[in-house]
Formats: sequence, C-alpha cells, structure tokens
Amino acid sequence: MVSLPVISNLPLVAPKNPANPAGWAIRHITSIAQLLRDSLMAVLIFALFVSLSLIHQTGAAFGQSSTFSLDVLPVLSDRCFHCHGPDPENREADLRLDVAESSDGTRGAREVLQPGSPEESELWNRITSHDTDVVMPPPESGRQALTNAEIDTIRNWIEAGAEWGRHWSFEAPRRTQPPLPELHPIDSFIRDRLKRTELVPSPRAQHHTALRRLSLTLTGLSPTPEQLKEFLSDPSGEAWNAHIDRLLNSPQHAERMAVWWLDAARYSDSDGYQADATRQNWPWRDWVIEAFQENMPFDQFTIEQFAGDLLPEATAEQILATCFHRNHMTNGEGGRDPAESRVDYVIDRVNTMGTVWLGLTLGCAQCHSHKFDPISQKDYYALTAFFNSIDEDGRAGMNARPYLNYQSPAVQSQIDELQRFLMQLQEAEKQQRAAAESRFANFLSDLTQSAAAERAATWRIAEASATSSDGTEFNFEEQGILQTSGPTPFQDDYRVTLKPPADLSRVTGWKLEVFPNSNHVDGRYTRDGNGHFTLTNVRLLLQRSGSPTETEIELSSAVADTARGNQRSSNWDTRYAKIGDTLNDDTRNGWTTLGDPAAVTHTAVFTLEQPQQISADDRLVVVLRHRALHGNSCIARFRLSLTDERGETLTRTDGKSPQQELLATRTTPNAEITADLRKRLLDQFLADDLPWQQASARVRRAKAQLNELQNQAKPRSVMVLQQRDQLRDTFVLNRGVWNAHGEKVDSAVPAAILQRPVNNRLELAKWIVDRSNPLTARVIVNHLWQLMFGSGIVRTPDDFGLQGARPTHPQLLDWLAVELMESGWDLRHILKLIATSETFRQSSTATVLQQELDPENRLLSRSPRFRLPAWILRDNSLHVSGLLNPLVGGPPVKPWQPEGVWGEITMGRFRYEPTIGPGQYRRTVYAWWRRSIAPVFLFDSAQRRVCEVQIRRTNTPLQALTLLNSPFTGEAARALADLSVSATDLDTIDRLQQISLRVLSRELTATELPSLQQLLRESLAYYSNHPDKALRFISVGQQPATAKKAAETAAWMTAAMLMLNLDEAISSE
Amino acid sequence: MNDSSRTERAVTVQARRTFLHSAGLSPAAMALASLQQQTSVAAAQGLPDQLARAKRVIFLTQSGGPSQLELYDHKPALKALAGTELPDSVRQGQRLTGMTAGKKQLVLPAVTQFRQHGDSGATVSEWLPHTAAVADELCFVKSMVTDQINHAPAMTKFLTGHQLPGRPSFGCWATWGLGSLNRNLPEYMVLLSRMKRGSDQPLYDRYWGSGFLPSRLQGVKLRSAAEPVLYLQDPAGMPRKLRRQMLNGLKDLNQQHLEQTLDPEIETRISQYEMAFRMQTSIPELADLSDEPESTFRLYGADSRRPGSYAANCILARRMAERGVRFIQLFHPDWDHHSRLRSWCVARCVDTDQASAALIKDLKQRGLLDDTLVIWGGEFGRSPAGQGDWRSAEAGRDHHPRCFTVWMAGGGVRPGMTWGATDDFSYNSVVDPVHVRDLHATALHLLGINHEQFTYRHQGLDFRLTGVEKANVVHGVLS
Repeated sequence: MVSLPVISNLPLVAPKNPANPAGWAIRHITSIAQLLRDSLMAVLIFALFVSLSLIHQTGAAFGQSSTFSLDVLPVLSDRCFHCHGPDPENREADLRLDVAESSDGTRGAREVLQPGSPEESELWNRITSHDTDVVMPPPESGRQALTNAEIDTIRNWIEAGAEWGRHWSFEAPRRTQPPLPELHPIDSFIRDRLKRTELVPSPRAQHHTALRRLSLTLTGLSPTPEQLKEFLSDPSGEAWNAHIDRLLNSPQHAERMAVWWLDAARYSDSDGYQADATRQNWPWRDWVIEAFQENMPFDQFTIEQFAGDLLPEATAEQILATCFHRNHMTNGEGGRDPAESRVDYVIDRVNTMGTVWLGLTLGCAQCHSHKFDPISQKDYYALTAFFNSIDEDGRAGMNARPYLNYQSPAVQSQIDELQRFLMQLQEAEKQQRAAAESRFANFLSDLTQSAAAERAATWRIAEASATSSDGTEFNFEEQGILQTSGPTPFQDDYRVTLKPPADLSRVTGWKLEVFPNSNHVDGRYTRDGNGHFTLTNVRLLLQRSGSPTETEIELSSAVADTARGNQRSSNWDTRYAKIGDTLNDDTRNGWTTLGDPAAVTHTAVFTLEQPQQISADDRLVVVLRHRALHGNSCIARFRLSLTDERGETLTRTDGKSPQQELLATRTTPNAEITADLRKRLLDQFLADDLPWQQASARVRRAKAQLNELQNQAKPRSVMVLQQRDQLRDTFVLNRGVWNAHGEKVDSAVPAAILQRPVNNRLELAKWIVDRSNPLTARVIVNHLWQLMFGSGIVRTPDDFGLQGARPTHPQLLDWLAVELMESGWDLRHILKLIATSETFRQSSTATVLQQELDPENRLLSRSPRFRLPAWILRDNSLHVSGLLNPLVGGPPVKPWQPEGVWGEITMGRFRYEPTIGPGQYRRTVYAWWRRSIAPVFLFDSAQRRVCEVQIRRTNTPLQALTLLNSPFTGEAARALADLSVSATDLDTIDRLQQISLRVLSRELTATELPSLQQLLRESLAYYSNHPDKALRFISVGQQPATAKKAAETAAWMTAAMLMLNLDEAISSE
Repeated sequence: MNDSSRTERAVTVQARRTFLHSAGLSPAAMALASLQQQTSVAAAQGLPDQLARAKRVIFLTQSGGPSQLELYDHKPALKALAGTELPDSVRQGQRLTGMTAGKKQLVLPAVTQFRQHGDSGATVSEWLPHTAAVADELCFVKSMVTDQINHAPAMTKFLTGHQLPGRPSFGCWATWGLGSLNRNLPEYMVLLSRMKRGSDQPLYDRYWGSGFLPSRLQGVKLRSAAEPVLYLQDPAGMPRKLRRQMLNGLKDLNQQHLEQTLDPEIETRISQYEMAFRMQTSIPELADLSDEPESTFRLYGADSRRPGSYAANCILARRMAERGVRFIQLFHPDWDHHSRLRSWCVARCVDTDQASAALIKDLKQRGLLDDTLVIWGGEFGRSPAGQGDWRSAEAGRDHHPRCFTVWMAGGGVRPGMTWGATDDFSYNSVVDPVHVRDLHATALHLLGINHEQFTYRHQGLDFRLTGVEKANVVHGVLS
C-alpha cells in the first residue's frame, strides 16, 4: 500500500513543505484503507491509481527536453539550488546546478553528470547515498530528501542522456496544432489531456446555470429574469454567442475587469503608512474602466501605463495612465527620510512589474541574487534604473509630485443625482419642521399652564462621593461642594460618583464649578503650587444598577467661562488653555484659568453626544484627571451638577436657560412671552425633537457630500510619472539597504528572459509586450483563465519561475498565449474564445469519480464551482434586488460600514461617513479604499498594499456573519420583500419563485419549497404579534418604513435573507 | 488552490473523505465532523514537534516605543553626564530619524526614580509600582534589538518578523501551527485600547493579518463597541428564535444542494454558519464582564470597569485564556513620547501598570500562568539623548532601535530574572543581545515549535517567522 503512486503524485505542484513531511499523505493512506472497506468505492480503486499517476505525467506533452523542464528542473530547483543555484553568495563547493556549463569559473551540472550512466554520476550517488555525511540535500539543511519517484525521474533522465534545457517559461511559447482538430481548440487540449485518465468531460450545464455563470464571470452580476427568460426560450449557439457579446460590451464588464486590474495595481484612495493621507488618483481608476470598455489592446494598455508620458505628443489621458506606477504606498511619517522612501517606491514598481506582467518574484533579488530563477542582483537593480529618474522626491500626502492636473468629466452626473436627492430631503425636512412646530405649540402650552414651582431647576446638584488615585482626600460639604484635604500629590486623578436626583430621567450635560477658597494658595483653586489648577482630561461613565462595569458616555463638546490665550505669568506649557482639550486622552493639553486676575468661581459645561436615559439606582462617574507636566495643580474645591435640557442651556455657563425665563414670566404678573424668548424656546425644543433632527441631519449630510462632490469636479492632482531632466545614477544596493551603494549599473533587462538593448521606460514597456518575450502573454492569458475558471492553468499566477506551479495544460497555455499576441493583444477575444468552449459550458456537478480522482479539478472534466469574491456578493445582492446604481466612474463612494471602523484603527483621526442617497448603491469598484483599513465588508480580497494577483478563497464563520448581518443583505432582502408584498396577484409559491429567479436564476424545486414556506409562516406569526419588532426589522439602510404591512414585509425579508445566503447564491457554479 | 496551502489541502482531502463516509449521517453530525477537521490542522502539521511549555500566548503590545530609560533600564551614571554629547564611540554612526538628525545628541538622564524590588532585586521605575510588585514573576529582557527606526516598519517587524507589510503575524503563525483549543471562539483574538486622542500611530489590521497564510487565521478584533465583532449582531428586530429557524431552512436547502453537487465546500459552509451562530452567543458572553466579582475589578483597578480600557482588556485576556483562545493580543497605543515624559509617559503608565500586573497575579492564582506565555513590549526603545532642550521639562526622547526592554512571564520562562544588559548609556545592547527574531524563535520554542522547521511555502519559497537570518532560541531565559 505504502508505495502507491497516488500518494506522492497527487499534487501537480512544486514539492512539499518541509514542515509537514508527508503529514497529509499519511492521512490519505488511512483514508484509502477506509475506502477499501467501502464496497461502493472498492471498484474505483484500480482506476484511481492508474489515473492519478497519469495526471502527474504532464512532462510528456513537451517531448524529451520538456521532461527536463517540467520534471527534472523542479526537483533540482527545490532541493539543490538554494546552495547550488544562481546566487553566488550562497553557493557551496563552487558547484551550480542551474546551468549545464558554467562560464563564471565555477563548476556546472555537466561536471557531476555522466550522461547515460547514473552510477558514474556524482549527482546520482549523492542523492541516493545512505551516508549522512554524503547524502544531498544534507539532512541538517531542513530540505526534504528526494522521494523514490523523484529519484526515478532523475535516473531515467540521466540514462536517457541527461539532456539539458531551460525552464519552460523562459522559452518562447510555441503554438502546437490542437490535438483533436474537430473540436474547439480549448476543448481539444482539455479533452486530449482527459483521454489519458478515466475521466470524461461533463455534460453541458443546464441553461440557467450556464447563463448565470457567464454573466457573473464576465460582469460580476447575475442575469435578470428577463435575460434568463430570453435565453431559455432560445438557447441556441447563436443566442449564447449573442449573450457573450452583450456582456462583453457592457460597462459592467469593464468594471469587472477593472477590479482585477485595481487589485494587481494596489490601487487605493489613501497613501498607507502612518499618515495614510487621502490621494486624488481616482481619475486613473476611470481610465482603467474606460480602457476595458474600449477593449484597448493589452500592449497599448501596457505601454501607456508604463510610459504614457514618454509617447510623442502624449495626451492627458496617456499621462494619466502612468498613475499605475504611482499606486504604491507613500510614507509621510514624521521621522522618515524621503530619500529612503523614494528608493522603496522604485523597488515597488519593479516588483509589481515582475508580478503582474512577468509572473516572476523579482523582489527576491533585491537583497541577493535570486536563489532559483536566473535573475542576478545586478539584473534587478538594472531594472530599477528604468524607474529611478522619475521626478519625485519620496514625499507623501499632497507633496507627492509629479502630478497631472486633471479634471474629470465623470463627476457631473453624480452631482445631478445628489442634487435631485437633496431636493427630496429638503422637502421632507420642511414637512418635519411644520410637524415639529405644532408639537412645540403643545409643549409651550403645557409648560405655561403648569405651576412654576413644579418645574425643577435647570441644573440639578447630585449627591457625590469621590476617591483619588494618588492620595487626595475629599469632604462633602453643603450644596454639593467637594473640598479636598490630606496629601497634595504631584498629579492626581479624581473619580467622583454621582447619585442622580430621583426625578431626573435623563442627562444631557454636566457642569463643573471650580471655587476659590481663602485657605488655598493665594486664595485661589489649589492647595499647593501657585494656586492655579490644570485639568488635563475628563470622562463621564455610567454604572447601571447591579452592573459592576461602567460604560463610557461620549461627550461632544465643552464650554467654559474663560479660555486663556498664550499669555502666561508662569512657565506652564501654553497648550494648557482651552476646555475642549479636556475631551481627549492627551495629557499635554487641557484647561487652566491661569492668568485670570480675580479669584472667582469658574464654570465649565460638558455636552453629551446623545441624551442618556438614567434611573435613580444608576450611578454616574466623572473622572477628573490632573496629569499636567508642571504638576501641583489639582483642583481643591468644586461641584458637579446635571441637566436634562438641550440646546442653549448647554452652550452657556451662567446657569440660565430659556425654560427658566419662561417660568419667570409665569410668576411675574402680566409678563409676556417675547418673540425673542419664543424663538429661543423653539430652538431649544427643536434641538430635542428627534424626527426633525434626523430630517435636518440628512439634509446637512447631503449638502456636505454635495459640496465635496463639487470639489471633486475641479481639477485633481493625480500622481503620474514624469522623467527628470538630469538622470539619477543607479547602484546595486547591498543587502537591499537603500543607501548601501554597490556597483553602479545602467538600465538593462534580464538577459535570461529576452536579450534586447532597452534604454528607457518606453522601450521597457515595448520589451514587455515584445512578441518574443516568453512570459508576458502566458502570464496574462493565465490571468484571464483564472478570471473565467477561478484558477489559472498555472496555479501560481504570480510565479512562473522555477518554484512556481507547473502548468496543468502547457500546450494550451502556449496556444492561448500565441493567440493573444496574434489577435493584437485582444483580451476580449480570449475571453470570448474561452466562453464559447464546451469546457466552459460544462456542468459543475461532480461525480464521485471526479471528486476522487481530481478533487481540485485541475483537468477540468467539470466546470469549477467556487464561492464568488466578496465584492461580487455585495454588487450582486444590490443588483438582484433592483437597488444597484449603474452610474459609471467618478469620485469614490462610501458604502455602509459599521460605526467606528476607521476611528478604532486610527484612534479617531479618520471618521467614516457612509454616502447618502443613490451613491450608496454604486458598485464596489467605486468604494473608498483606505489602506490602513480596507472596506470591512470584503473578505479574502487583495489588501492593495503591495501587488497581489493570487486569488484567496476561504470559508469562515466571520464571512457567514457578514453575509447574514451586513446592511447589504438587509437592504437587498427588504427590496425583494417589497416586491413580494406588492405582487398581490401572486400566491406564496409564485412569490418565492419570483425571488428565486432573481437570486438563483432558477425556480425552486418541490423539495426546496417547504423550508421556505415554513420560515415564512413562523416569521409572519412572530411579526404579527410583534409589530414594533417588524417595523424595526424592515427599517434598514436608507429605505423608509411604514407600519402598514410591516409584519408581512418582515416575514418576506427573512425568506429573502435565507435565499441570499444560500451556498448556491454566493457561488459560481 | 495555491501550491503552498498544504495544510489546507489536508483539510480538503479529509473533508472530502468525511463527505463520502458521512453520507446518511445527520446534518449536525456532519457539521461536527467537519469542525473537528478544522481543528486537526495542527495534527496534520505534526505540531507541536517538541516539548511545549506554553499552550497559549498573551501579547501585551505597547505601541509607540516605551522608554526603557524611564521604565526599566536604570542608568544612574547618566545623571553626571546630563547635557553632554553622546560619545561617537557609543553612537557608532547610528542613524537617526528625520526629527533629530543633524541635531546635537545631548544626554537626558531618566526623569524617574528607580528601586530594586522583590527577591530578584529587579530595578523598576516608580511609575510602575504594581509591575514592580510582581517583579519576581517576570523575566526582563533588557538587551532587545531591532533594526527599524520608524514606527510602522518596526512594529511590522516586531509582529511579523519582516519590516515590509505582507507577512503573516506572529499570532497567525502560532495558530496556524497549533490549531484551535475551542470550538466556539476564534483562535486568535485582538483587543485595542480605546483612546480618545488621535494617536499618531494607527494600529493597522495587518499587524494581526494572515499575510500569505490562509485568511481564516487572521486575528479577530474584539471591539469595545456595542457589537464586539463586526456583523455579530442579528439585524435589529430579528429575534434569536427566527434566526435559528432561518438557519435551519438554510441548512436544509444547502444540504439538498450538497447532495446534488457533491461539493465538500458546502459541507464546510454549513458548519461555518453553525459556528457563526454559536459565536453570536459565545462572544457577547465572553465580552460581558458583569459576571465578574468585585474582587476582579479591585485587582485590575478602577479603569477595568470601563469596557474598552486596557485594564478591561486585561480581564478579557484572562477570560479568553480560560476559554481556550490560543493567541491573545492587546494593543495599547500612544507610547511615542517625543516630549513631556512627566505627563505623557506617566499617563500611559497609569493606564497599564496595575492591570498588567493584575493579569500576572490573576493567571497565577487560577493556575493558568504555567502554560500561558505573557509578553510585554513595544516595537523599539528610546534614545538616551533628549529631544528638544534636555533641560526643559518638555524634553522627550526619539526612537531608538539598538536597545529596548521587554518582559515575559509564565509559559516556561524563568521568573524573577533579568537577561542581557545595555551599555552605560542604555544605547547599545552589549550583554547577550536578543534580536526581535530571537524573541520569536524563543516564543515558538516555548510553544513547542522549532522555528527553523516551521515554514510555509509561498511564491516558491519556504518562509518562516524568524526570517532568513540566523535566529537563536534564548535558552538562558527558559525555566
């Protein structure tokens, strides 16, 4: 059992992780033993062994030399090159095995090989030795010994003459005749490969599945019920082709392609690093969408992004394109040397070029010559020379020149859209205002009719007790005054616990009064120091009755009766001045009255962000921190009081309020309510009127966002490339350290890839898309294959080097690469070619045999089935529910994110305010991307800090929570529920089918309906009994809710949520 | 699938296997089986591969670079040298940040007083009285070294082993290697102190990111907001009962689809939705401190009553340790004291001192300290030269990578000792220097993992937390 080929041959990939020597393989053997017990499976065992060993033998496809390239070289690379490879620094025994003959005075592989005779070859003797001092790789290297199969490969190769070749991806792609000429070329290669296994191609997917797959793949959106109906009525080949053309020509396709490119380009709306300042590069994102919309040939697409500025008579758009190479992070940290940052940016460009176009891990050669691929450290720095003379100086923020001053035409439609929305909001505000004024009239009449004595004072003194952290003691005197005594520490924090008056049901603000006292220093405020106090920070906490914890209550503002300027009679830091500075956690600023001539009572009033409901058993805790640098300035005599009034009361420190003035008019005979008092009372009333506050807050937000949009319509500073007049010298950087200059180098391209004289960025771009460049076309068609099938033909799209995965279909990859170039680098042509193949149209339903023989679906005997990227899940939820806003281009928008997500990471430096109005429902490609915290509703997405092209696909509970509970799901479910509720002519089953057609692109089966019907019944029962809950549930996002039909809507929402969360709904299948 | 995700493949192979053998089992049994495979990743790795002293880590990350000179590294001789220029023989051309480059480097002696504490006689500053009281439980490493001088690269190095973003964090490496100890909570959880001032150093989510490791390993941040984990709460107006009924329906339909497609991912999906449902209960239960007795709050200090404070997070860390969370990481920001040490640095000490010490005491009294490795420290230290006028109270200190202090406790670390030493200026680590990578090697060693063997294949290379340069386990600090 143990020597079964299946064990070592299963993966078609580079070798094992030494940390896991055969861990999973052992597991697999156990499983096979289990399999044997399973009578159903036993019949498959033979086929399994045969087929899997066949799956492994890809090398044969290339003929003799490719056996070396695909089978031998990877083994040498993985086990030998670390010490006997291209990197001279690490080379042992002057032997390199990456070349047959060496030109650098060291020994090449030929010297340890005797073609035809393994036993006379030192290499063979070393890898098969049982002597731990002799065997290679050495046991202490941590590298795994060669497996029996690998040893056999080497033996066969030596016996056959040890013919040398190059790594496959460094040879130019050659088109071979498709092996089954009667078929579509793609099917021809795929089916030919399958012929060598027990697997057969799957039948076509059902029509609805095929169209849904096509539509999601090409646009990120599923077909509408109408498109579906049309296709089902005519599923002919011409109709299929017509749908492909329709989708490829749509702006939604361009947006879908743009996400691919933006991830690779590490595009972001902020700099990253510490300051993470906002940048204005979004017009470049629109350039990318436009390029895909026009199906710009990929060679031109490349040239403009690399060197649009160097093209003769470059247009603004061609210069705009070069923003690609400015999308790296920029570091504006205080102590950062810009010269060092500039070197980082140059390096980032080379690494990104390596990953995106060449599929090479060039970055490895930054510190030392590449250990596996033929890229020396000198080659690497010769590449940096192309990017080293950009007219930049390494700065960040809005000092990251060179810039293109660019005015985008895409903003106006957004302005128009928001203006229309604003008018609706203003209309709603007007109505709310009228309603609020009528509520005010009632309030006023209640207030004037009640007896003045019944109205408590505006400021209520609370019973207080206090403790301190550093030793100060407190005496509670009459009138709520606290007088300190005992020790006088250098600094101290007071914790004052307040018992609220029994009839105070809420708190809107609190007041601190600081009293002078004759026994204080100089008759002022403290018991030591110079008599003046400094309060550095305050906090307000709520301890609910029976709970040991204290929740912090946010304070929004503070006012005081005095604010000191910079004049000082002492050496105290002038940052101690204003009351507002007590609201942070910073001890370097705060409030002092130092410099006030008279020793009078001083007052500060603090406003709560939201009124806080309290009961008599709750406790409020006020923390007063005295952590001033100068010390000895702790307040010695003070009082705290509370209020439940809002508005004016909280903006004045004299304790007066309009309501108290009104009451005074009641106790004064014949006193009138003046117009001025009435207005102040109305203002105070409105400050507390929630519906009006909400309506006017929406107007304010919309106006602010409109203002921002109008700014964005002005010329923007887009970071672009521009060459310096005076070129900079370029050096090898020893160990990659930015200022450790080694040998001076001229710009040049790595000869191992394609030798050409290349002198500047423009020529570099042309070299990349040169017909003879062996890498670019392969790498790009592999990206397209990954877009269409979820994984590439090379499953490491970022690494076509010796340590990368080997192609599952090498000839097909080459055929497509040549096709791409010969089509004039027409990406859409390749996508269409793939979409028209039978391989693409197969069913994704796996048979047991397929699951067993090819669990990762490398051979594509079925269509892949995989969870869609998170951005598509958001977009498609909005799309299927009819909410999606199809506007293309323009400044970024802010989709819903939970409160505080930016603030937590940046300690409050950035605040995220979601976009109001139709902009909320735009596609994720337009979502504001902050590098320090990417949109939190995305998962498995590229992080856009450095270039990433590998797709991640995990399956976690946090993703489940996001899909269950995010407002996208809620809003989409609500919109779908509205559809159901309004479809009064349909019965329940028809309405469920209506949602299903949108979400799953198919009708539910008889076995699927009962679960949904049951959920509908249960939720309708619940919400009918809990109308308040129903109203709360359906009030999601921006969608207005009314009590009418709330229970029914809520019930349908639960069913829609379920469907939106189905594995089928979130998968491409 | 990435060629590197070997363990993931182990899970896939196993999940597929389970599928074939569990056909006919109840959905619940299948979900459970699948979950057990999730936790068997560690077994597939064959880890721990040596004797493990610690089962879990609590990493008390002090972001910004706490001053070793004010807190732990007592250099009384500097008093006599106040205001003199740092000798070139000490500086040895060390680079400075843009803030002090080109300025004279004049000695600023510590602005605090030190005393020796406990049987071990550890020197601890007057600003940390509670830490001083547990000094006999701690192992001070005074000879820490890093090679980065700015915050983001240094913190990235401190937490991921490399200065450039994109590598997995220490917590992800540990949980990738060792797997989960519980079935209701994530393996790696992160707690940020809630601060009101705009700290200059953002705590990027990449500090607990999974880099190229599977993204399910990334740290889950527990927020101090009403919703402790993003999207944890059911939408307002949806009762738990309906959520359960909805998940029952979802499970039924997914199950039907699984039977048609034979895609084992659906089986995993079902179990992840069930795990999500359990987390909706287990996380609020974890985050709610109201079942803690008064004695807890007295131990951790008054600020521990305030959810979101460092002190409350220390209580949460202990609760996570009790519930089997593998890697617990706290972040307290704002240790970047370029000025005004007497007010600014003091305030951060007040925030953290009592609670850090209380956590050690609490873990010990509950018998958890033995197998919990606690690490306290920031990304670098601070320079003995004053920033600003050294004579002024407003003086502070610039960043300094060549020496800083961290302390460790529990989990196989020798208590009551000091390892390594700096020169008379607290400028260079001169006795037994410990590089950041050595700290990582040592921590992994305590978790039973050989850092040299513990690699992950990515882009054709075998990456490890400790990087390409030689890293050493500091055997001298092991008990």
